[in-house]
Amino acid sequence: MPSSTSSSEVPGTGKGGLKPILTFFDPEHVDRPVPARPWGRIAMMAVLAATVLMAAWEVSWRGHWQYPGDFKNTDDLWAQERRKATGDATVIIGSSRIFFDIDLDIWEDITGVRPVQLAFEGTSPQPMLADLAADEDFKGLVIVGVTNGLTFSGYALRGDAVEHARTQSISRRIGHRLWMVFDTLFAATDDATRPKTIIYHAEFPLREGMERRMEPRKLMVMDADRNTRVAPRVMEDEAFQQLARDIWADGLSRKLAAMKEAPDPDAMAKLQENMDRIIADFSEKAAKIRARGGEVVFAQMPYNGMYAELEDAAFPRERAFDRLVAETGSVSVTFHDYPELQGLHLPEWSHLAPRDAEVFTARFAPILDARLEESKAIKAD
Amino acid sequence: MLFNSLTFVAFFAIVLALHYAPFPWRLKKFNLLIASYLFYAAWSPPFVILLWISTFVDWHAAQWIHKATSQARRRAFLILSLATNLGILGYFKYGEFLMENFTAALGAAGIAYAAPEWNIILPVGISFYTFQTMAYSLDVYLRRSAPSKSLLDFSLFVTFFPQLVAGPIVRPSQLIPQFAEIKQATSNQLFWGLGLITIGLFEKIVLADAFLAPAADAAFGHKGALAPLDAWTGVLAFSGQIFFDFSGYSTIAIGAALCLGFALPNNFRFPYAAIGFSDFWRRWHISLSTWLRDYLYIPIGGNKNGRIRTYVNLMVTMLLGGLWHGASWTFVVWGGLHGAYLAGERLLREMIPEQSWFKSFWFKVAMAMLTYFLINITWVFFRAQSFGDAATMLLSMFALAEDPKKALYLNEIAPALLVVAGMVATHWRMRSTTKEEIIAATPPIVIAGAWAVMIFAILISQGSDSAFIYFQF
Repeated sequence: MPSSTSSSEVPGTGKGGLKPILTFFDPEHVDRPVPARPWGRIAMMAVLAATVLMAAWEVSWRGHWQYPGDFKNTDDLWAQERRKATGDATVIIGSSRIFFDIDLDIWEDITGVRPVQLAFEGTSPQPMLADLAADEDFKGLVIVGVTNGLTFSGYALRGDAVEHARTQSISRRIGHRLWMVFDTLFAATDDATRPKTIIYHAEFPLREGMERRMEPRKLMVMDADRNTRVAPRVMEDEAFQQLARDIWADGLSRKLAAMKEAPDPDAMAKLQENMDRIIADFSEKAAKIRARGGEVVFAQMPYNGMYAELEDAAFPRERAFDRLVAETGSVSVTFHDYPELQGLHLPEWSHLAPRDAEVFTARFAPILDARLEESKAIKAD
Repeated sequence: MLFNSLTFVAFFAIVLALHYAPFPWRLKKFNLLIASYLFYAAWSPPFVILLWISTFVDWHAAQWIHKATSQARRRAFLILSLATNLGILGYFKYGEFLMENFTAALGAAGIAYAAPEWNIILPVGISFYTFQTMAYSLDVYLRRSAPSKSLLDFSLFVTFFPQLVAGPIVRPSQLIPQFAEIKQATSNQLFWGLGLITIGLFEKIVLADAFLAPAADAAFGHKGALAPLDAWTGVLAFSGQIFFDFSGYSTIAIGAALCLGFALPNNFRFPYAAIGFSDFWRRWHISLSTWLRDYLYIPIGGNKNGRIRTYVNLMVTMLLGGLWHGASWTFVVWGGLHGAYLAGERLLREMIPEQSWFKSFWFKVAMAMLTYFLINITWVFFRAQSFGDAATMLLSMFALAEDPKKALYLNEIAPALLVVAGMVATHWRMRSTTKEEIIAATPPIVIAGAWAVMIFAILISQGSDSAFIYFQF
């Protein structure tokens, strides 16, 4: 039997007007009727109404701390920037501190070089350094931001981005480029505006025995090349700033309480073993990059409040940062050593206020440059 | 590329523009063929070669089967086609599974064997297009239809992008003849096709991803026993998620094809209103269930060789149907449960004579609820990562697990249960009708309003495009 595509229109006259298709599957025939409705008029009304709704949605979000030109912090955007990290590029890796605290515009003004920002929040720099070390085309400068709790535990919230960049499909690359256009034009494209996120963070009554969710909210705004700073809401909305601190405090106070208990020798031994392995891995990767003519340096961005209380106790400088620097034979800059890098405003203990990030960058870049020159001179001698 | 991506929006706009440009029909078909290869290559270009192999082998095998003068030669050419398709499927999809089981079997026999690492990426949609092309060779072998006269039409049948990676699995007689004549949608078909695309995207992006996935993921991602409310919410949410995800894909596929002037068959018909399991399989993934019926269940004897053999055939079909979904024993158990349900239902029908109260409304409601309940049990095996996880979930559902924990917040529970209740009620309301009939009787202003709300909900729910669940099959 020849196949027919009966896409014919069937009159829709209410009950019984359109014969229900109850033959569930005819292997030789496909019936695809179109309900007889004034489709042109319907489509026009639908598009018009949807446009009005979207315009209202966009306007309402622009009044609620969302901005056009704030780009989504996706693995696709990271992959886009990763492709720039080639040759003698200057690359920043690490976690949110170096991600938020280095202003790429200021850095470029001072050094004439725009770094590639490859840091990720909640992520140890380890997978990113391994990726750069494995890339024979890269022989530039890597500035590794060291956040003790992440660097020395190896926790990498966004570590999968490395694999994503390697396997990113053409479809994802095109889709990302198209999203960039929408992110430039509209405020309501951010994840924070999605119903899924709104429902997730909504204040529903708590079920008995369950604790309030204390997960980080949106803390940053980002340019098209991942130049990132603390979001205006963190600076201007006091309740939101307090919430950000409360969220950090929730996790930090648990860790502090655990530290005050009698330490489990087995757990301590495992932590030390893990740290030894991580430092050895950093050494190996740094040596690989240096062998090609590149350089790897370590930097510690400012922190205070409960972070200082926890990190300084859990990762004493001489056993953590200084050891990492010594064993990798690296140049380093830590805010602890430079009064001019201290006393800046950290609204939620961990990230610099945008204006202070500019000041910090303007002071940090020349210090690092001088340290590198110093190191070169020593090596030349 | 994913239907729920901006890349697809741009791609489809270009395809539509080319399809409605004043080109000869043959050139338009070439455009569609190239577009289909690009659609597939957007994931991984090398896997297009698999499409070419399937196309090349099945095209020739069918011609040779048709021309062969002896049954032995016909059978040999059929085996060539089946071996090629099943070989591709077996290598890419079941290789690791077979190796693991082989190693485990040797281990059980006391022979230590370290299997080589199996790092093969599963080509997207491989189960769908291999079944579709096998249907072509089988139809020619079974003399259900003659081979296609046009290689271009046949290539397009294998590759037609709307249904290439997740169905509906179209029969040759449903689609190939459509390529023979000039196809261009009327304006009403175009609008209705766009309407179907909107409905499908709404199902996927809003209902499946935004409202149901959080509860299902939280429950199935939890390590350890759950409180009964959490376990049931997770399972019910998954029942909705898998439906809206897959039905959404099929609806977009049907809509996209209709925009181009082609008709694809329905793949779902409100399955959670099913009364019994034979009814369920007439409503769920219809193109697969009928494929299994026509190319597996009937050829191995169906119900023609006595009662026992019928039950065996039923079980074999459903077990293989389960395995089709994924290379894991949990999928086999999922299929086995469905086979057992179908066999049980058949047995009960044989044992209990038809009663007048079988037709009463409340009896039907009770049977539909029982069917939905039992289907939810099967979803546990479908979604769980291991038998251990499935057992924990089942024990949790029936309050038999030790030390159960609450893992879901009302933020997940409320939207999930709301959507599931709406879904089940809608399926029941639509049990004996169709979308088309309902829409034909709805005032235009209401249709426009619903359409606008769906577009709005899709646009505000967009995010990093999440893949359709059935892509992994």
